[in-house]
Amino acid sequence: MNKSIDKILFNPIRLKIVSTLITISECDFKHLRKVTESTQGNLSIQLKKLKENGYIHIEKSFKNNYPQTTCSITKKGKRKFEEFFETILTYKK
Amino acid sequence: MDASEKQIEMISKMINSTKENLQPLSVNFIFWGSLIVGMSLIHYIFPQFIQSTKYSSLLFWTVIPLIGMTITVFYNIKNRKNIGYETHLSRVIKIIWGVFNVSWFLLVIISLLKGVNNPVPDILFLLSTTLLITGLIIKFRPILLGGFLLMLFTVYINFNPTINFLLVNMIGVTLGMLIPGITLYTSKLDE
Repeated sequence: MNKSIDKILFNPIRLKIVSTLITISECDFKHLRKVTESTQGNLSIQLKKLKENGYIHIEKSFKNNYPQTTCSITKKGKRKFEEFFETILTYKK
Repeated sequence: MDASEKQIEMISKMINSTKENLQPLSVNFIFWGSLIVGMSLIHYIFPQFIQSTKYSSLLFWTVIPLIGMTITVFYNIKNRKNIGYETHLSRVIKIIWGVFNVSWFLLVIISLLKGVNNPVPDILFLLSTTLLITGLIIKFRPILLGGFLLMLFTVYINFNPTINFLLVNMIGVTLGMLIPGITLYTSKLDE
């Protein structure tokens, strides 16, 4: 029997964010916008959702008077991504 | 293609979008290699000028590298900002060289406090171990070889204290940093 799929990662933008963060130490908002090909508003909403569920960590700072958002994946996020990947593999079979 | 296949393809695409870029590291190596070789050369050609006062040599070997450190720190920050992300590997390399900078500074201070005139063998030994660690982590043979040769040099100068340290510095840093840096830079551009 197939496992139930993680609803948080089922969203394509959120899956793109977590897939990007899984391989790197940290990443800024601009790069995430580029790789996810999403709008600023949509990306902000999806990042907020991931943060609220403990999948990612968001750090907001100021550099040269410009706001800077840096994201990194949490341990929970890594575990959930691995579980999600295993689940979609079972669906594929 | 079903939904799960699409998701796997998307994950794969995202993972592949973050590439390891070692070009900034090679630029750092070339910069430091050239700077140290250049400084050693100036000191070797104009010793009467560099050693004109008791502390002039010390100032020469601390102020210029500190300016160099500031330049490279700004370059690395700017570069990191342009790329938009930091990989685990680049974070590890950043930490290693950060620790090297602190250790180098402490070695200079200790040698000054102890009245040791020449901290070059200790600094070169520290540099050789840092190069070996970097070479092993990024799996790049020229840096590994450079670090190993520099370590052999350090052992040699410890048993031959009469040898000219400026020449040792020039040869050691050329082998350990400049040549591996240029090799790394050209190999990354070729890809």
